[in-house]
Amino acid sequence: MPLNIAVLVKASLDPNMLRSKASREVDVDNTPLAISEYDKNAVEAAIQLRDKHGGKVVVVSALTWGPLAKRSREIEQVVREALAMGADEAHVIVDEALIPGDPGATAAALASLLQKLGGFDLYLTGEAAMDMMSSQVGARVAAILGIPFISYARELEYADGVVKVKRDLEDRLETVEAATPAVVSVTGEINKPRIPTLIQIRRAFRKPVKKYSLADIGAELPGKPSLEELRVVAVQRKNIIIEGESLEEIAEKLIDALIKEGVIKA
Amino acid sequence: MMRALLYAEKPSQLPELAGFAEKHGLEAYVLVFGSPDEVKKNSFKAFKRVYVAAAEKPTPDQLAETLVKLYDELRPSLVAAVAAKNNVDAGARLAAWKKIPMFTEATVVELAEDKITVKRQVLGGRAIARISSQLPAIVAIPAGVYSYSGDTGAETVEIEAPEPRIKVTAVEPKKHEAVNIEAAEVVVGVGRGFRKKEDLAMAEELAQILGGVVGGSRPVVADYGWLSEDRWIGISGKKIKPKLYIAIGISGASQHMAATLDSKIIVAINKDKNAPIFQYADYGVVADLYKFLPILIKKLREKLGK
Ligand SMILES: Cc1cc2nc3c(=O)[nH]c(=O)nc-3n(C[C@H](O)[C@H](O)[C@H](O)COP(=O)(O)OP(=O)(O)OC[C@H]3O[C@@H](n4cnc5c(N)ncnc54)[C@H](O)[C@@H]3O)c2cc1C
Repeated sequence: MPLNIAVLVKASLDPNMLRSKASREVDVDNTPLAISEYDKNAVEAAIQLRDKHGGKVVVVSALTWGPLAKRSREIEQVVREALAMGADEAHVIVDEALIPGDPGATAAALASLLQKLGGFDLYLTGEAAMDMMSSQVGARVAAILGIPFISYARELEYADGVVKVKRDLEDRLETVEAATPAVVSVTGEINKPRIPTLIQIRRAFRKPVKKYSLADIGAELPGKPSLEELRVVAVQRKNIIIEGESLEEIAEKLIDALIKEGVIKA
Repeated sequence: MMRALLYAEKPSQLPELAGFAEKHGLEAYVLVFGSPDEVKKNSFKAFKRVYVAAAEKPTPDQLAETLVKLYDELRPSLVAAVAAKNNVDAGARLAAWKKIPMFTEATVVELAEDKITVKRQVLGGRAIARISSQLPAIVAIPAGVYSYSGDTGAETVEIEAPEPRIKVTAVEPKKHEAVNIEAAEVVVGVGRGFRKKEDLAMAEELAQILGGVVGGSRPVVADYGWLSEDRWIGISGKKIKPKLYIAIGISGASQHMAATLDSKIIVAINKDKNAPIFQYADYGVVADLYKFLPILIKKLREKLGK
Protein backbone atom coordinates (compact mmCIF):
# COMPACT_ATOMS: atom_id res chain seq x y z
CA MET A 1 0.00 0.00 0.00
CA PRO A 2 1.50 3.35 -1.01
CA LEU A 3 2.00 5.90 1.71
CA ASN A 4 0.78 9.42 1.11
CA ILE A 5 2.52 11.90 3.35
CA ALA A 6 1.87 15.57 3.97
CA VAL A 7 4.73 17.59 5.43
CA LEU A 8 3.97 20.84 7.27
CA VAL A 9 6.77 23.25 6.49
CA LYS A 10 7.24 26.78 7.76
CA ALA A 11 8.86 29.64 5.89
CA SER A 12 10.52 31.06 9.02
CA LEU A 13 12.34 34.28 9.59
CA ASP A 14 15.94 33.15 9.60
CA PRO A 15 17.39 33.85 13.08
CA ASN A 16 20.91 33.74 11.70
CA MET A 17 20.14 36.46 9.14
CA LEU A 18 18.23 38.81 11.42
CA ARG A 19 18.02 42.46 10.44
CA SER A 20 17.16 45.08 13.01
CA LYS A 21 16.35 48.77 13.05
CA ALA A 22 18.11 51.42 15.12
CA SER A 23 15.27 51.11 17.64
CA ARG A 24 16.22 47.42 18.10
CA GLU A 25 12.90 46.39 16.57
CA VAL A 26 13.39 43.35 14.34
CA ASP A 27 13.29 44.54 10.75
CA VAL A 28 10.83 41.85 9.73
CA ASP A 29 10.37 43.12 6.19
CA ASN A 30 14.07 42.77 5.43
CA THR A 31 14.90 39.58 7.28
CA PRO A 32 14.95 36.68 4.82
CA LEU A 33 12.67 33.67 5.09
CA ALA A 34 14.12 30.18 5.07
CA ILE A 35 12.76 26.69 5.45
CA SER A 36 12.64 26.00 9.18
CA GLU A 37 15.48 23.76 10.26
CA TYR A 38 13.55 20.84 11.77
CA ASP A 39 10.98 20.92 9.00
CA LYS A 40 13.82 19.86 6.73
CA ASN A 41 14.22 16.80 8.93
CA ALA A 42 10.50 16.15 8.46
CA VAL A 43 10.86 16.43 4.67
CA GLU A 44 13.81 14.04 4.76
CA ALA A 45 11.89 11.52 6.88
CA ALA A 46 8.94 11.73 4.49
CA ILE A 47 11.10 11.16 1.41
CA GLN A 48 12.75 8.13 2.99
CA LEU A 49 9.37 6.62 3.87
CA ARG A 50 7.99 7.29 0.41
CA ASP A 51 11.03 5.75 -1.26
CA LYS A 52 10.48 2.64 0.81
CA HIS A 53 6.69 2.30 0.64
CA GLY A 54 5.74 4.22 -2.49
CA GLY A 55 3.17 7.03 -2.52
CA LYS A 56 3.86 10.74 -2.58
CA VAL A 57 5.16 13.58 -0.44
CA VAL A 58 3.08 16.73 -0.44
CA VAL A 59 4.41 19.91 1.19
CA VAL A 60 1.97 22.36 2.78
CA SER A 61 2.83 25.78 4.15
CA ALA A 62 1.11 28.97 5.27
CA LEU A 63 2.72 32.38 4.90
CA THR A 64 2.93 34.06 8.32
CA TRP A 65 5.22 37.02 7.64
CA GLY A 66 4.61 40.08 5.48
CA PRO A 67 4.78 42.13 3.39
CA LEU A 68 2.47 39.91 1.40
CA ALA A 69 3.49 40.76 -2.18
CA LYS A 70 7.20 40.21 -1.65
CA ARG A 71 6.77 37.21 0.64
CA SER A 72 4.37 35.51 -1.70
CA ARG A 73 7.31 34.94 -4.05
CA GLU A 74 9.67 34.13 -1.21
CA ILE A 75 7.51 31.34 0.25
CA GLU A 76 7.53 29.75 -3.18
CA GLN A 77 11.32 29.62 -3.10
CA VAL A 78 11.20 28.15 0.39
CA VAL A 79 8.92 25.27 -0.55
CA ARG A 80 10.96 24.71 -3.72
CA GLU A 81 13.80 23.73 -1.43
CA ALA A 82 11.65 20.86 -0.12
CA LEU A 83 10.71 19.99 -3.71
CA ALA A 84 14.40 19.96 -4.67
CA MET A 85 15.05 17.55 -1.80
CA GLY A 86 12.53 15.23 -3.41
CA ALA A 87 9.00 16.18 -2.36
CA ASP A 88 6.46 15.80 -5.16
CA GLU A 89 4.23 18.86 -4.92
CA ALA A 90 3.60 21.90 -2.74
CA HIS A 91 0.53 23.84 -1.62
CA VAL A 92 0.80 27.19 0.09
CA ILE A 93 -1.71 29.49 1.73
CA VAL A 94 -1.05 33.18 1.21
CA ASP A 95 -3.52 35.47 2.93
CA GLU A 96 -3.20 38.78 4.76
CA ALA A 97 -5.32 37.45 7.65
CA LEU A 98 -2.54 35.02 8.63
CA ILE A 99 0.09 37.77 9.04
CA PRO A 100 1.71 38.01 11.53
CA GLY A 101 1.33 34.36 12.37
CA ASP A 102 -0.24 32.70 15.35
CA PRO A 103 -0.22 28.93 15.91
CA GLY A 104 -4.02 28.83 16.28
CA ALA A 105 -4.73 30.60 13.01
CA THR A 106 -1.95 28.81 11.11
CA ALA A 107 -3.11 25.38 12.28
CA ALA A 108 -6.75 26.13 11.42
CA ALA A 109 -5.75 27.21 7.92
CA LEU A 110 -3.42 24.25 7.35
CA ALA A 111 -6.01 21.78 8.65
CA SER A 112 -8.59 23.17 6.19
CA LEU A 113 -6.14 22.88 3.31
CA LEU A 114 -5.21 19.32 4.31
CA GLN A 115 -8.87 18.35 4.47
CA LYS A 116 -9.39 19.80 1.03
CA LEU A 117 -6.38 17.95 -0.39
CA GLY A 118 -7.61 14.84 1.42
CA GLY A 119 -6.44 11.33 2.03
CA PHE A 120 -3.05 11.40 3.73
CA ASP A 121 -1.79 8.48 5.77
CA LEU A 122 0.80 10.44 7.64
CA TYR A 123 1.48 14.08 8.50
CA LEU A 124 4.99 15.15 9.49
CA THR A 125 6.38 18.41 10.84
CA GLY A 126 9.36 19.71 12.82
CA GLU A 127 9.27 19.81 16.63
CA ALA A 128 9.30 23.62 16.56
CA ALA A 129 9.77 26.33 13.97
CA MET A 130 13.08 28.13 14.21
CA ASP A 131 11.49 31.59 14.43
CA MET A 132 8.61 31.56 16.92
CA MET A 133 9.45 28.20 18.53
CA SER A 134 5.87 27.55 19.59
CA SER A 135 5.71 23.75 19.11
CA GLN A 136 1.96 23.93 18.65
CA VAL A 137 0.97 23.65 15.01
CA GLY A 138 1.40 19.87 14.68
CA ALA A 139 -0.59 19.19 17.86
CA ARG A 140 -3.31 21.63 16.87
CA VAL A 141 -3.67 20.21 13.36
CA ALA A 142 -3.99 16.69 14.80
CA ALA A 143 -6.60 17.91 17.29
CA ILE A 144 -8.62 19.61 14.53
CA LEU A 145 -8.40 16.55 12.26
CA GLY A 146 -9.25 14.30 15.22
CA ILE A 147 -6.30 11.96 14.73
CA PRO A 148 -3.40 10.90 16.99
CA PHE A 149 -0.45 13.22 17.51
CA ILE A 150 3.00 12.00 18.45
CA SER A 151 5.57 14.65 19.34
CA TYR A 152 9.39 14.73 19.50
CA ALA A 153 10.10 11.70 17.29
CA ARG A 154 13.77 10.89 16.98
CA GLU A 155 13.08 7.54 15.26
CA LEU A 156 10.17 6.70 13.03
CA GLU A 157 9.07 3.48 11.35
CA TYR A 158 5.97 2.61 9.44
CA ALA A 159 4.44 -0.78 8.69
CA ASP A 160 0.92 -1.92 7.84
CA GLY A 161 -0.96 1.16 8.93
CA VAL A 162 0.97 1.63 12.18
CA VAL A 163 3.66 4.20 13.01
CA LYS A 164 6.22 3.27 15.62
CA VAL A 165 8.02 6.23 17.11
CA LYS A 166 10.76 6.80 19.64
CA ARG A 167 9.85 9.98 21.52
CA ASP A 168 12.66 12.05 22.98
CA LEU A 169 11.52 13.47 26.36
CA GLU A 170 13.47 15.30 29.06
CA ASP A 171 14.12 12.26 31.22
CA ARG A 172 13.39 9.27 28.99
CA LEU A 173 12.98 7.82 25.53
CA GLU A 174 9.52 6.41 25.02
CA THR A 175 8.61 4.02 22.22
CA VAL A 176 4.98 4.43 21.18
CA GLU A 177 2.71 3.09 18.48
CA ALA A 178 -0.34 4.58 16.84
CA ALA A 179 -2.58 3.69 13.93
CA THR A 180 -2.42 5.99 10.92
CA PRO A 181 -3.52 8.51 9.92
CA ALA A 182 -1.48 10.35 12.53
CA VAL A 183 0.54 13.55 12.88
CA VAL A 184 4.16 13.17 14.00
CA SER A 185 6.59 15.96 14.91
CA VAL A 186 10.27 15.14 14.48
CA THR A 187 13.42 16.37 16.22
CA GLY A 188 16.65 17.43 14.54
CA GLU A 189 18.23 14.14 15.53
CA ILE A 190 15.98 11.91 13.43
CA ASN A 191 18.13 12.17 10.28
CA LYS A 192 20.48 14.32 8.28
CA PRO A 193 18.52 16.24 5.64
CA ARG A 194 19.94 15.72 2.14
CA ILE A 195 21.37 18.71 0.29
CA PRO A 196 19.82 18.89 -3.18
CA THR A 197 22.10 18.88 -6.21
CA LEU A 198 21.98 21.62 -8.82
CA ILE A 199 20.06 19.35 -11.18
CA GLN A 200 17.50 18.60 -8.48
CA ILE A 201 17.11 22.30 -7.77
CA ARG A 202 16.48 22.96 -11.46
CA ARG A 203 14.02 20.10 -11.71
CA ALA A 204 12.12 21.42 -8.71
CA PHE A 205 11.02 24.37 -10.81
CA ARG A 206 8.93 22.01 -12.90
CA LYS A 207 7.08 20.61 -9.88
CA PRO A 208 3.71 22.16 -9.04
CA VAL A 209 3.33 24.84 -6.37
CA LYS A 210 -0.29 25.84 -5.85
CA LYS A 211 -1.39 28.95 -3.99
CA TYR A 212 -4.59 29.45 -2.04
CA SER A 213 -6.33 32.24 -0.16
CA LEU A 214 -8.35 31.46 2.97
CA ALA A 215 -11.51 31.88 0.90
CA ASP A 216 -10.29 29.22 -1.54
CA ILE A 217 -10.04 26.65 1.22
CA GLY A 218 -12.98 27.83 3.28
CA ALA A 219 -10.98 28.20 6.48
CA GLU A 220 -12.39 29.84 9.58
CA LEU A 221 -9.81 31.29 11.94
CA PRO A 222 -10.01 31.55 15.72
CA GLY A 223 -9.31 34.95 17.32
CA LYS A 224 -5.67 35.95 17.00
CA PRO A 225 -3.46 37.48 19.69
CA SER A 226 -1.61 40.62 18.70
CA LEU A 227 2.13 40.75 18.30
CA GLU A 228 2.90 44.07 19.92
CA GLU A 229 6.64 44.13 19.85
CA LEU A 230 9.55 42.15 18.44
CA ARG A 231 12.90 43.35 19.75
CA VAL A 232 16.40 42.12 19.22
CA VAL A 233 18.39 41.23 22.33
CA ALA A 234 21.46 43.44 22.42
CA VAL A 235 24.82 41.68 22.33
CA GLN A 236 27.81 43.76 23.30
CA ARG A 237 31.14 42.00 23.12
CA LYS A 238 34.70 43.11 22.53
CA ASN A 239 35.07 41.16 19.26
CA ILE A 240 38.87 41.08 19.42
CA ILE A 241 40.48 38.57 17.07
CA ILE A 242 43.84 37.55 18.51
CA GLU A 243 46.52 37.43 15.88
CA GLY A 244 50.17 36.46 15.92
CA GLU A 245 53.09 34.95 14.03
CA SER A 246 52.47 31.50 15.45
CA LEU A 247 49.84 29.59 17.38
CA GLU A 248 52.20 29.74 20.38
CA GLU A 249 52.14 33.50 20.30
CA ILE A 250 48.35 33.55 19.91
CA ALA A 251 47.94 31.19 22.87
CA GLU A 252 50.16 33.40 25.03
CA LYS A 253 48.29 36.54 24.05
CA LEU A 254 44.97 34.88 24.81
CA ILE A 255 46.13 33.71 28.24
CA ASP A 256 47.46 37.17 29.06
CA ALA A 257 44.19 38.76 28.04
CA LEU A 258 42.18 36.37 30.21
CA ILE A 259 44.44 37.00 33.17
CA LYS A 260 43.97 40.74 32.68
CA GLU A 261 40.21 40.25 32.55
CA GLY A 262 40.48 38.47 35.88
CA VAL A 263 38.74 35.34 34.64
CA ILE A 264 41.74 33.06 35.07
CA LYS A 265 44.44 33.26 37.70
CA ALA A 266 48.16 33.07 37.02
CA MET B 1 -9.76 36.54 41.82
CA MET B 2 -8.94 35.06 38.48
CA ARG B 3 -9.79 31.39 38.17
CA ALA B 4 -6.99 29.27 36.72
CA LEU B 5 -6.56 25.64 35.83
CA LEU B 6 -2.96 24.56 36.34
CA TYR B 7 -1.69 21.16 35.30
CA ALA B 8 1.38 19.03 35.80
CA GLU B 9 2.45 15.71 34.31
CA LYS B 10 4.18 14.91 37.62
CA PRO B 11 4.13 16.15 41.24
CA SER B 12 7.64 17.63 41.09
CA GLN B 13 6.26 20.47 38.94
CA LEU B 14 3.79 21.53 41.65
CA PRO B 15 6.05 23.91 43.62
CA GLU B 16 6.61 25.96 40.45
CA LEU B 17 2.88 26.09 39.79
CA ALA B 18 2.26 27.15 43.39
CA GLY B 19 4.79 29.95 42.99
CA PHE B 20 3.05 31.06 39.81
CA ALA B 21 -0.39 30.94 41.48
CA GLU B 22 0.88 32.95 44.43
CA LYS B 23 2.58 35.57 42.29
CA HIS B 24 -0.56 36.23 40.28
CA GLY B 25 -3.06 35.75 43.11
CA LEU B 26 -4.94 33.04 41.25
CA GLU B 27 -7.85 30.92 42.37
CA ALA B 28 -5.92 27.85 41.32
CA TYR B 29 -7.36 24.46 40.54
CA VAL B 30 -4.66 21.96 39.78
CA LEU B 31 -4.60 18.75 37.79
CA VAL B 32 -1.66 16.50 38.50
CA PHE B 33 -0.69 12.96 37.53
CA GLY B 34 1.15 10.66 39.93
CA SER B 35 0.69 8.82 43.19
CA PRO B 36 -1.75 10.46 45.63
CA ASP B 37 0.80 10.15 48.47
CA GLU B 38 3.43 11.97 46.48
CA VAL B 39 0.92 14.64 45.57
CA LYS B 40 -0.10 15.22 49.23
CA LYS B 41 3.48 16.33 49.91
CA ASN B 42 3.04 19.03 47.27
CA SER B 43 -0.60 20.01 47.75
CA PHE B 44 0.27 23.59 48.61
CA LYS B 45 -2.05 26.07 50.29
CA ALA B 46 -1.62 28.29 47.25
CA PHE B 47 -3.99 25.88 45.51
CA LYS B 48 -7.74 25.91 45.95
CA ARG B 49 -8.09 22.25 45.04
CA VAL B 50 -5.82 19.56 43.64
CA TYR B 51 -7.16 16.85 41.33
CA VAL B 52 -4.96 13.76 41.32
CA ALA B 53 -5.09 11.26 38.49
CA ALA B 54 -3.21 8.19 39.64
CA ALA B 55 -1.15 7.49 36.54
CA GLU B 56 2.62 7.70 36.32
CA LYS B 57 4.16 9.08 33.12
CA PRO B 58 0.87 9.96 31.42
CA THR B 59 0.85 10.26 27.64
CA PRO B 60 -0.08 13.69 26.23
CA ASP B 61 -3.48 12.38 25.12
CA GLN B 62 -4.26 11.26 28.69
CA LEU B 63 -3.18 14.68 29.95
CA ALA B 64 -5.20 16.54 27.34
CA GLU B 65 -8.40 14.54 27.74
CA THR B 66 -8.44 14.93 31.51
CA LEU B 67 -7.60 18.59 31.14
CA VAL B 68 -10.47 19.33 28.78
CA LYS B 69 -12.98 17.72 31.16
CA LEU B 70 -11.85 19.93 34.02
CA TYR B 71 -11.73 22.93 31.71
CA ASP B 72 -15.38 22.45 30.79
CA GLU B 73 -16.32 22.02 34.43
CA LEU B 74 -14.36 24.95 35.85
CA ARG B 75 -14.40 27.42 32.94
CA PRO B 76 -11.09 29.04 33.95
CA SER B 77 -9.78 32.30 32.50
CA LEU B 78 -6.25 30.96 32.43
CA VAL B 79 -4.63 27.56 31.96
CA ALA B 80 -0.97 27.19 32.89
CA ALA B 81 1.75 24.56 33.10
CA VAL B 82 5.51 24.27 33.23
CA ALA B 83 6.91 24.17 29.69
CA ALA B 84 7.90 20.51 29.73
CA LYS B 85 7.50 18.69 26.42
CA ASN B 86 4.40 16.63 27.32
CA ASN B 87 2.71 19.63 28.94
CA VAL B 88 3.22 21.76 25.83
CA ASP B 89 1.95 18.93 23.64
CA ALA B 90 -1.21 18.51 25.73
CA GLY B 91 -1.78 22.25 26.11
CA ALA B 92 -1.66 22.77 22.35
CA ARG B 93 -4.40 20.16 21.93
CA LEU B 94 -6.62 21.85 24.50
CA ALA B 95 -5.93 25.18 22.81
CA ALA B 96 -7.07 23.77 19.48
CA TRP B 97 -10.22 22.15 20.89
CA LYS B 98 -11.20 25.36 22.69
CA LYS B 99 -9.97 27.68 19.90
CA ILE B 100 -7.93 29.73 22.33
CA PRO B 101 -4.37 31.08 22.15
CA MET B 102 -1.43 29.42 23.82
CA PHE B 103 1.94 30.94 24.64
CA THR B 104 4.88 28.57 24.87
CA GLU B 105 7.71 29.48 27.28
CA ALA B 106 6.32 32.79 28.44
CA THR B 107 9.17 34.29 30.47
CA VAL B 108 7.00 37.21 31.61
CA VAL B 109 3.26 36.94 32.21
CA GLU B 110 1.03 39.92 33.00
CA LEU B 111 -2.63 39.46 33.75
CA ALA B 112 -5.36 42.09 33.71
CA GLU B 113 -9.08 41.53 34.12
CA ASP B 114 -9.73 39.95 30.73
CA LYS B 115 -6.36 40.27 29.08
CA ILE B 116 -3.00 38.56 29.11
CA THR B 117 0.34 39.94 27.95
CA VAL B 118 3.40 37.76 27.70
CA LYS B 119 7.01 38.12 26.72
CA ARG B 120 8.70 35.25 24.97
CA GLN B 121 12.12 34.49 23.60
CA VAL B 122 11.83 33.98 19.87
CA LEU B 123 14.07 33.80 16.80
CA GLY B 124 16.44 31.36 18.41
CA GLY B 125 16.73 33.52 21.50
CA ARG B 126 17.91 36.54 19.51
CA ALA B 127 14.72 38.50 20.06
CA ILE B 128 11.92 38.99 22.58
CA ALA B 129 8.31 39.17 21.47
CA ARG B 130 5.56 40.92 23.44
CA ILE B 131 2.20 39.41 22.62
CA SER B 132 -1.20 40.07 24.12
CA SER B 133 -4.63 38.56 23.82
CA GLN B 134 -8.05 38.29 25.36
CA LEU B 135 -8.54 35.59 27.97
CA PRO B 136 -9.04 32.65 28.20
CA ALA B 137 -5.58 31.58 27.14
CA ILE B 138 -2.96 28.96 27.94
CA VAL B 139 0.59 29.69 29.05
CA ALA B 140 3.55 27.39 29.47
CA ILE B 141 6.03 28.91 31.91
CA PRO B 142 9.73 28.09 31.61
CA ALA B 143 10.99 25.57 34.15
CA GLY B 144 12.89 26.94 37.11
CA VAL B 145 11.45 30.46 37.23
CA TYR B 146 8.89 30.19 40.03
CA SER B 147 9.23 28.54 43.42
CA TYR B 148 7.12 28.18 46.58
CA SER B 149 7.88 27.53 50.20
CA GLY B 150 4.42 27.79 51.81
CA ASP B 151 2.48 25.12 53.64
CA THR B 152 0.77 22.12 52.17
CA GLY B 153 -2.76 21.03 52.94
CA ALA B 154 -4.91 21.97 49.96
CA GLU B 155 -7.98 19.83 49.36
CA THR B 156 -7.11 16.88 47.11
CA VAL B 157 -9.62 14.98 45.01
CA GLU B 158 -8.78 11.74 43.28
CA ILE B 159 -10.02 11.42 39.74
CA GLU B 160 -9.77 8.77 37.11
CA ALA B 161 -7.21 8.89 34.31
CA PRO B 162 -8.43 7.76 30.90
CA GLU B 163 -6.69 4.88 29.13
CA PRO B 164 -3.91 6.13 26.87
CA ARG B 165 -4.88 6.13 23.20
CA ILE B 166 -1.34 5.65 22.13
CA LYS B 167 0.37 2.42 23.04
CA VAL B 168 3.64 2.85 24.94
CA THR B 169 5.73 -0.24 24.24
CA ALA B 170 9.06 0.68 25.85
CA VAL B 171 10.58 3.30 28.14
CA GLU B 172 14.31 3.92 28.41
CA PRO B 173 15.45 6.32 31.14
CA LYS B 174 18.16 8.81 30.22
CA LYS B 175 21.48 8.96 32.03
CA HIS B 176 21.97 11.89 34.33
CA GLU B 177 25.15 13.24 35.86
CA ALA B 178 25.64 15.18 39.06
CA VAL B 179 27.04 18.16 37.17
CA ASN B 180 25.63 21.66 37.44
CA ILE B 181 26.78 23.51 34.39
CA GLU B 182 24.46 26.42 35.18
CA ALA B 183 26.47 27.25 38.30
CA ALA B 184 29.96 26.68 36.85
CA GLU B 185 32.47 29.56 36.85
CA VAL B 186 34.26 28.30 33.77
CA VAL B 187 32.61 26.39 30.96
CA VAL B 188 34.40 24.82 28.00
CA GLY B 189 31.89 24.31 25.20
CA VAL B 190 32.43 21.74 22.47
CA GLY B 191 30.72 21.63 19.11
CA ARG B 192 30.59 19.72 15.88
CA GLY B 193 34.13 20.87 15.09
CA PHE B 194 35.27 17.88 17.16
CA ARG B 195 35.55 14.84 14.95
CA LYS B 196 35.16 12.07 17.49
CA LYS B 197 34.22 11.49 21.09
CA GLU B 198 37.77 10.65 22.20
CA ASP B 199 38.92 14.09 21.08
CA LEU B 200 36.79 15.67 23.81
CA ALA B 201 39.59 14.61 26.18
CA MET B 202 41.35 17.82 25.10
CA ALA B 203 38.38 19.90 26.20
CA GLU B 204 38.19 18.02 29.47
CA GLU B 205 41.86 18.64 30.12
CA LEU B 206 41.37 22.35 29.43
CA ALA B 207 38.34 22.47 31.73
CA GLN B 208 40.26 20.69 34.45
CA ILE B 209 43.17 23.13 34.32
CA LEU B 210 40.74 26.06 34.59
CA GLY B 211 38.58 24.45 37.26
CA GLY B 212 35.62 24.33 34.93
CA VAL B 213 33.20 21.90 33.31
CA VAL B 214 32.63 20.76 29.74
CA GLY B 215 29.34 21.49 28.01
CA GLY B 216 28.25 21.06 24.43
CA SER B 217 26.11 22.20 21.55
CA ARG B 218 22.95 20.39 20.59
CA PRO B 219 24.44 18.11 17.91
CA VAL B 220 27.23 16.94 20.21
CA VAL B 221 24.76 16.13 22.98
CA ALA B 222 21.56 15.11 21.23
CA ASP B 223 22.82 13.83 17.85
CA TYR B 224 25.99 12.05 18.84
CA GLY B 225 25.28 11.46 22.52
CA TRP B 226 28.90 12.28 23.39
CA LEU B 227 27.79 14.22 26.47
CA SER B 228 24.79 13.76 28.76
CA GLU B 229 21.90 16.18 28.47
CA ASP B 230 22.95 17.82 31.74
CA ARG B 231 25.70 19.45 29.67
CA TRP B 232 23.55 20.68 26.77
CA ILE B 233 23.99 24.44 26.32
CA GLY B 234 21.25 26.36 24.52
CA ILE B 235 17.67 27.45 24.50
CA SER B 236 16.53 23.83 24.50
CA GLY B 237 19.16 22.89 27.07
CA LYS B 238 20.82 24.75 29.95
CA LYS B 239 21.47 28.42 30.36
CA ILE B 240 24.96 29.27 31.60
CA LYS B 241 26.44 32.37 33.23
CA PRO B 242 30.12 31.63 33.89
CA LYS B 243 32.93 34.13 34.26
CA LEU B 244 34.56 32.48 31.27
CA TYR B 245 32.99 30.56 28.39
CA ILE B 246 35.38 29.04 25.85
CA ALA B 247 33.46 27.83 22.80
CA ILE B 248 35.45 25.45 20.63
CA GLY B 249 34.36 24.22 17.20
CA ILE B 250 30.95 25.81 17.67
CA SER B 251 29.51 27.89 14.83
CA GLY B 252 27.54 30.29 17.02
CA ALA B 253 23.93 29.56 16.06
CA SER B 254 21.58 31.86 17.93
CA GLN B 255 19.88 28.94 19.69
CA HIS B 256 23.20 28.08 21.27
CA MET B 257 24.48 31.57 21.97
CA ALA B 258 21.25 32.86 23.52
CA ALA B 259 21.96 30.66 26.55
CA THR B 260 25.46 32.13 27.00
CA LEU B 261 24.71 35.85 26.88
CA ASP B 262 25.19 36.27 30.64
CA SER B 263 28.78 34.99 30.48
CA LYS B 264 31.31 37.60 31.57
CA ILE B 265 33.90 36.77 28.92
CA ILE B 266 33.37 34.62 25.82
CA VAL B 267 36.28 33.13 23.88
CA ALA B 268 35.70 31.49 20.52
CA ILE B 269 38.03 29.06 18.80
CA ASN B 270 36.97 28.24 15.26
CA LYS B 271 38.85 27.59 12.04
CA ASP B 272 36.35 29.55 9.94
CA LYS B 273 37.03 33.27 10.24
CA ASN B 274 33.48 34.00 9.07
CA ALA B 275 31.81 31.84 11.72
CA PRO B 276 28.99 33.82 13.41
CA ILE B 277 30.42 32.95 16.82
CA PHE B 278 33.02 35.68 16.49
CA GLN B 279 30.27 38.30 16.69
CA TYR B 280 29.33 36.89 20.10
CA ALA B 281 32.89 36.64 21.38
CA ASP B 282 35.16 38.96 23.35
CA TYR B 283 38.25 37.12 22.14
CA GLY B 284 38.44 35.06 18.99
CA VAL B 285 41.07 32.67 17.74
CA VAL B 286 40.88 31.63 14.11
CA ALA B 287 42.57 28.25 14.13
CA ASP B 288 42.12 24.52 13.78
CA LEU B 289 41.25 23.30 17.25
CA TYR B 290 43.33 20.17 16.72
CA LYS B 291 46.43 22.32 16.30
CA PHE B 292 45.59 25.09 18.75
CA LEU B 293 44.25 23.23 21.79
CA PRO B 294 47.40 21.20 22.54
CA ILE B 295 49.42 24.42 22.44
CA LEU B 296 46.94 26.33 24.59
CA ILE B 297 46.88 23.52 27.13
CA LYS B 298 50.68 23.37 27.27
CA LYS B 299 51.03 27.15 27.69
CA LEU B 300 48.33 27.24 30.36
CA ARG B 301 50.11 24.55 32.32
CA GLU B 302 53.31 26.59 32.15
CA LYS B 303 51.65 29.87 33.13
CA LEU B 304 49.37 28.55 35.81
CA GLY B 305 51.98 26.18 37.14
CA LYS B 306 49.72 23.13 36.90
C1 LIG C 1 14.25 25.32 17.71
C2 LIG C 1 15.74 25.04 17.77
C3 LIG C 1 16.34 24.86 19.01
C4 LIG C 1 17.72 24.63 19.11
N1 LIG C 1 18.28 24.51 20.34
C5 LIG C 1 19.63 24.41 20.44
C6 LIG C 1 20.29 24.39 21.72
O1 LIG C 1 19.65 24.43 22.76
N2 LIG C 1 21.65 24.29 21.74
C7 LIG C 1 22.41 24.23 20.61
O2 LIG C 1 23.65 24.17 20.71
N3 LIG C 1 21.81 24.23 19.41
C8 LIG C 1 20.45 24.31 19.29
N4 LIG C 1 19.89 24.31 18.05
C9 LIG C 1 20.73 23.98 16.89
C10 LIG C 1 21.51 25.16 16.36
O3 LIG C 1 20.72 25.87 15.43
C11 LIG C 1 22.78 24.68 15.64
O4 LIG C 1 22.43 23.73 14.67
C12 LIG C 1 23.81 24.07 16.57
O5 LIG C 1 24.03 24.89 17.71
C13 LIG C 1 25.10 23.88 15.81
O6 LIG C 1 26.05 23.23 16.63
P1 LIG C 1 27.60 23.39 16.36
O7 LIG C 1 27.96 24.81 16.40
O8 LIG C 1 28.29 22.47 17.30
O9 LIG C 1 27.79 22.76 14.91
P2 LIG C 1 28.04 23.45 13.52
O10 LIG C 1 27.08 24.52 13.25
O11 LIG C 1 28.20 22.35 12.55
O12 LIG C 1 29.44 24.17 13.70
C14 LIG C 1 30.67 23.55 13.78
C15 LIG C 1 31.74 24.62 13.76
O13 LIG C 1 32.99 24.03 14.00
C16 LIG C 1 33.95 24.65 13.17
N5 LIG C 1 35.03 23.67 12.98
C17 LIG C 1 34.99 22.51 12.27
N6 LIG C 1 36.16 21.87 12.37
C18 LIG C 1 36.95 22.63 13.15
C19 LIG C 1 38.29 22.50 13.62
N7 LIG C 1 39.04 21.44 13.28
N8 LIG C 1 38.79 23.47 14.39
C20 LIG C 1 38.04 24.54 14.71
N9 LIG C 1 36.78 24.71 14.32
C21 LIG C 1 36.24 23.77 13.54
C22 LIG C 1 33.23 24.99 11.91
O14 LIG C 1 33.87 26.07 11.27
C23 LIG C 1 31.84 25.37 12.43
O15 LIG C 1 31.75 26.75 12.67
C24 LIG C 1 18.51 24.54 17.94
C25 LIG C 1 17.91 24.70 16.70
C26 LIG C 1 16.54 24.96 16.59
C27 LIG C 1 15.95 25.14 15.24
